[in-house]
Amino acid sequence: MDDLERKKNIRRTALIVAAVALAFYVGFIMLGVLRS
Amino acid sequence: MTTTTVDTHAADHEHDDHGPTKGIKRWLFSTNHKDIGTMYLIFSLVMFFVGGAMAMVIRSELAIPGLQFVHPEFFNSMTTMHALIMVFGAVMPAFVGLANWMIPLMIGAPDMALPRMNNWSFWILPVAFGILLSTLLMPGGAPASGWTMYPPLVLQTGDAFPFLIFSVHLMGISSIMGSINVIVTIINMRAPDMTLLKMPMFVWTWLITAYLLIAVMPVLAGAVTMLLTDQFFGTSFFLAAGGGDPVMFQHIFWFFGHPEVYIMILPAFGVVSEIIPTFSRKKLFGHDSMVYAASCIAFLSFIVWAHHMFTVGMPLTGQLFFMFATMLIAVPTGVKIFNWVATMWRGAMTFETPMLFSLAFVFLFTIGGFSGLMLAIQPADVQYHDTYFVVAHFHYVLVPGSVFAIMAGAYYWLPKWTGHMYNEKLGKLHFWASTIFVNITFFPQHFLGLAGMPRRIPDYSVQFADFNMISSIGAFGFGLSQLIFVLVILTAWKGAKATDRVWEGSHGLEWTVPSPAPWHTFTTPPKNRIADEAFE
Repeated sequence: MDDLERKKNIRRTALIVAAVALAFYVGFIMLGVLRS
Repeated sequence: MTTTTVDTHAADHEHDDHGPTKGIKRWLFSTNHKDIGTMYLIFSLVMFFVGGAMAMVIRSELAIPGLQFVHPEFFNSMTTMHALIMVFGAVMPAFVGLANWMIPLMIGAPDMALPRMNNWSFWILPVAFGILLSTLLMPGGAPASGWTMYPPLVLQTGDAFPFLIFSVHLMGISSIMGSINVIVTIINMRAPDMTLLKMPMFVWTWLITAYLLIAVMPVLAGAVTMLLTDQFFGTSFFLAAGGGDPVMFQHIFWFFGHPEVYIMILPAFGVVSEIIPTFSRKKLFGHDSMVYAASCIAFLSFIVWAHHMFTVGMPLTGQLFFMFATMLIAVPTGVKIFNWVATMWRGAMTFETPMLFSLAFVFLFTIGGFSGLMLAIQPADVQYHDTYFVVAHFHYVLVPGSVFAIMAGAYYWLPKWTGHMYNEKLGKLHFWASTIFVNITFFPQHFLGLAGMPRRIPDYSVQFADFNMISSIGAFGFGLSQLIFVLVILTAWKGAKATDRVWEGSHGLEWTVPSPAPWHTFTTPPKNRIADEAFE
């Protein structure tokens, strides 16, 4: 795997994981909004 | 001649082969995983003593019945701050420090995948804890609602409330950034031949822990954001008067809180899984089953949260589900304990300090596990709930569990970090003092709880006096014992020169680099067979 491809993979993995974290944050607040 | 010198320098620079910058800038702007790991470890040690000092206030007040030294409100602040500091400031950063130091070395990576974010995730922490500790000086005092921050009680916090929320957000952001870094590093930067199932257990447990953190820290952030809007922006997420539900906070908090327990123990499993094979001079028994067991524990940790709230009232089916799901965790945990014992079985064991701490971990964590199993039984939990039995249980899991594993890891890898052997006699003294005093502190608390002493109170009935005095003596002994560890650290550079491999039975890529580990390691990816050969 060359450097460029590795950097691309790193960026992609980081964005996916960050998106998951954001989804949990927003999701649980939405849960609160829907319930209250 | 001159040209050659210039060329060499240029080549060195191009390969990032220079040493650290001098002075404070080295630490402020560091993107080096070893420096950041060191900062995490020092920070966690400082927080360990700050949180420990608060524990001493608690145990002083509880040594004899009646109110002695502090106001009840301040006592509640101490229990709250002690927990927040120990969980988020001591245990978690210590494991992140070990991860920063060791994961790149173990997988043959030159550094963490996102080094600048790594710097950020560390430097947010002192700010977060500076803010949290500053609340001690605010009107209305520091938060006193317990680390669980249950509404409506937490909404009675004085000026400290928004600062508490902000600091929890900062801790969460730091943890999430750290976890992103760990996941991205492990997924993308392993040595070419290192398949996932060839990874060392410490790396595996950290990968699982990082996924747990990604899933649950935002949940905590969401919960405290809702608390903030309830207090200042007129919402009623958790306020019954406005149509909200305070119990919903408990559900959301424990959806974070229970996996958090495993966030603090899975890396400990990883550390112990590295140390026991080394000092048994055998391969880890059932490496793959350990991976599956850790994954299984992580999965189960998401479906057991309501066992923390058996007494709030829930349908019978809910009680049964959470009871059985909780008891199920004993199975993969049992697999781990069995594998550690099987690794030691007929091994050529020696008992250096890291091994002693690991053995104590196996024994004493198991005691914490058993009391957890007792608490999982719903009808029994109604009696145990909010008593000192719970305090004894989670301290057995976290002190001779997580903290002992951190100590074991620190002793195990210290020669790799400093290039010198630590003082073994002091290490063993630290171990025996810690082990004796930790049991004197927490074992009597089981009896106090079973006799009905509630937790989070500054005063108690005289029938609880004797066990409380014993527990307080143990706590002061344990606190003083930790000064031996500081002495070990301060004298760590005075011992004999450490070899690259350090321990006779050690194996893995981290032992193939010199001791101390140079500023840059694995600038070219190693072949995984080096790790295999190191074990042969």
